[in-house]
Amino acid sequence: MQLSTSPDPTARISIRGLSKFYKDYLALDRVDLDVRKGERIVVLGPSGSGKSTFIRCLNRIEPHDSGVLMIDGRVIDDRTDLTALRGSVGMVFQNYNLFPHLSVLDNCTLAPRLVRGVGTSDAKATARRYLSQVNIAEQADKFPIQLSGGQQQRVAIARALCMNPEIILFDEPTAALDPESISGIVGIMRDLTEQGITTVCVTHEMGFARHIADRIVFMDRGAVLEITPPEEFFTAPRTERARTFLAQMIRH
Amino acid sequence: MPSTCPPALALSRSRRTPALQRITRRAAPWRRICLAAPFVLALILPAARAHADDLPSFVHDGQLTLCTNPTLPPMTFVNGSDTNALAGMDIDLARRLAAYWHVPLVPQTMDFEGLFPSLSAQRCGMVISGVLRQAGRLRNYDAVAYLDSSVVAVARVGTPKIRTMADLSGQTVAVQSGTSYAAQIERENDRLRAAGRLPIILQQYPTEDQVVQQVLIGRAHAFVSQDVELYYRQKQLGGKVTIILTPDYADFHQFAVYIRNDAHDTELLQTAIDDLTRQGELSAMARKWGISGDHQSVFTDRKASSRFDFATFFSALFSTAFLKGAALTLVIAILSHLTAIIISVPMAMKLNGRDSIVRRLLGLYVAIFRGAPTLLQLLFIWNALPQFFPIFREHWFTPFLATWLSLSINESAYQVEINRAALRAVDPGQVLAADALGMTTAQTYRHVIFPQALRIALPPTINEFISLLKTTSLASVISLQELLAVTQIQVARTFQFTEYYAAALVYYLAMVFFFLFLQKRIERRFVWADRDKASADAA
Ligand SMILES: Nc1ncnc2c1ncn2[C@@H]1O[C@H](COP(=O)(O)OP(=O)(O)OP(=O)(O)O)[C@@H](O)[C@H]1O
Ligand SMILES: [Mg+2]
Repeated sequence: MQLSTSPDPTARISIRGLSKFYKDYLALDRVDLDVRKGERIVVLGPSGSGKSTFIRCLNRIEPHDSGVLMIDGRVIDDRTDLTALRGSVGMVFQNYNLFPHLSVLDNCTLAPRLVRGVGTSDAKATARRYLSQVNIAEQADKFPIQLSGGQQQRVAIARALCMNPEIILFDEPTAALDPESISGIVGIMRDLTEQGITTVCVTHEMGFARHIADRIVFMDRGAVLEITPPEEFFTAPRTERARTFLAQMIRH
Repeated sequence: MPSTCPPALALSRSRRTPALQRITRRAAPWRRICLAAPFVLALILPAARAHADDLPSFVHDGQLTLCTNPTLPPMTFVNGSDTNALAGMDIDLARRLAAYWHVPLVPQTMDFEGLFPSLSAQRCGMVISGVLRQAGRLRNYDAVAYLDSSVVAVARVGTPKIRTMADLSGQTVAVQSGTSYAAQIERENDRLRAAGRLPIILQQYPTEDQVVQQVLIGRAHAFVSQDVELYYRQKQLGGKVTIILTPDYADFHQFAVYIRNDAHDTELLQTAIDDLTRQGELSAMARKWGISGDHQSVFTDRKASSRFDFATFFSALFSTAFLKGAALTLVIAILSHLTAIIISVPMAMKLNGRDSIVRRLLGLYVAIFRGAPTLLQLLFIWNALPQFFPIFREHWFTPFLATWLSLSINESAYQVEINRAALRAVDPGQVLAADALGMTTAQTYRHVIFPQALRIALPPTINEFISLLKTTSLASVISLQELLAVTQIQVARTFQFTEYYAAALVYYLAMVFFFLFLQKRIERRFVWADRDKASADAA
């Protein structure tokens, strides 16, 4: 997929020729993508195709090697203030990665207090607001180990929200969840869009992808092969690779 | 023993050292050789008073420093339960010499094995500690004799007298390790074997009181010691033992003051001893401490009870000496472990990190300090370090500091492995999550990794601490007056093993149980790690 050669400063995220090596293994191969404000992008692709690597480049947890990454018109490179970047680009993980030694409430207030310097009572008020948005306000004083997977994933989303991000990256957020919890997460992600938050989500759940995606980004071997709306991707994929991928997903 | 020579009454000695024995046993040197009779000189030399401008060079900074191991009554020991109250013939002599040179006496107590290394390290000016004048020592030090002595073989009362050491063929004989008696008996054994007879079975114990105990409980047929010490023991033992032989060993005839090699100093010291001898002061001291050839007088003393003496036990238990000893044990263990933890955390982080020169050096550090015996490390820091760095001979470098330093370094090598495992056990996803939230590395360690690693590290760390608490007892070899050192000093003085051992045991157990209790309490705070407990806690 080749877009125009210069990045678009008006897009929330604009990516041109983004490449990343692990030693001499090319994990990302000249990726181009523009993401609008409030858009929901779903990244699909076979295992090892570079999906996680790609979204980790977006908050520079993995620095890229070449190409341009621009967020809200600002180029992200080795001079970028990472604290500010991580504040505006939140992340949610497959295994939730909650801090087990902290209560749900403290999980949500730790980073705002340490990174943003928010006062404890303000941080708590904000945390309670987001915890009720994801419907687990009553679990605020519990420890993560006492919660179900779905509840933990909602805490992880609330924790990311507490930093007031403009973008949230999800890496297989539903992989460890039952179908009922998944539909809960779908609802929450729709709410995020209403708040103007842009989401980029890696998943293996085709149903989930179809439900939430504005556009599907299909990757294989580090390269982006297709960027299409979900109806089109699931009914009439443009590439042969996507067709075999979908055929395999359905068979399983 | 011949009390015919007034200056040098009669005695001698060799000594021991607790845990050291393993290291030094084979090397136990000949303690000395008897040279000319000092009292002859005493008659020839003029009575001279020391002048300020003719002080021996070991009188330094206006003071006379003495190294002594106060567990050999009546020569040098602690009288009463105050471990600072040094007493005995040697202490009186040292005080008198200090007065002779018009300077104050500064005594330092330490384990027997530490005496000569300390003398070499210039930590003290002289050693007076019931040490015999022996040829082997004279190669490295100068010695001036002050008291005659002889070796005795002692057995339980009623044991028939023997004519030569060879009569002990096939019998068990106990001696103090680190002394030259063992080497002497080995020579006897060589002769016995050559004659086709059974050798003497030798048992070595780190303290003299244990040696005596072997005979009392019947494990050993006899023990070998110096007559002087026996006079004193007789008082405590109430005539339970008797001398069965006084072998004539040339190297065991005189106690001597040892100084570093210096002809002029030796001459000045000899003059001083001769003066004191001539004035009858030395024989007065010897009489004061019951050092005399009149065995009868000591045999008739009080009867020792063989039952457990609760009064002694409780008075030991509540004595300031034991309290102080236990407090010192606790303080040194806590300080050393805290220091070890503080240095081992960054070490563990580095060791878990990428390969580098620093990482390899740290690996070497861990290997060395886990590999070398703790006791050897203590001795090295106390006795060898001053030879490389003179600054470590100065007075600020106390046994406490040396113990702290060496136990901290040693413990850090163990603690680092606990820390590494604990840090590794923290899910790497935690670091990723903290990173994605914009936390700095320092914040991540402080608020995310350490609290989780702490829970994992706590039980093995408390185990380490308990082990360290007991390891502190090794520091008695460098004269730290911790609990076991206090116990041994009291046992040497009173001979009441059981009571003092029991009191020490109570202290050690009380401390260990307290920390086990503390561990349980702290673990309860980690409710977050256990679903059931967390729920029960909330309920
Ligand atoms: N830190 C790393 N060091 C070296 N290679 C890596 C690293 N992380 C990922 N890779 C490699 O890069 C490639 C892409 O990995 P990535 O995790 O991005 O794939 P993915 O699409 O997320 O796969 P999955 O669907 O299984 O999560 C893989 O071949 C992987 O082995
Ligand atoms: Mg992945």
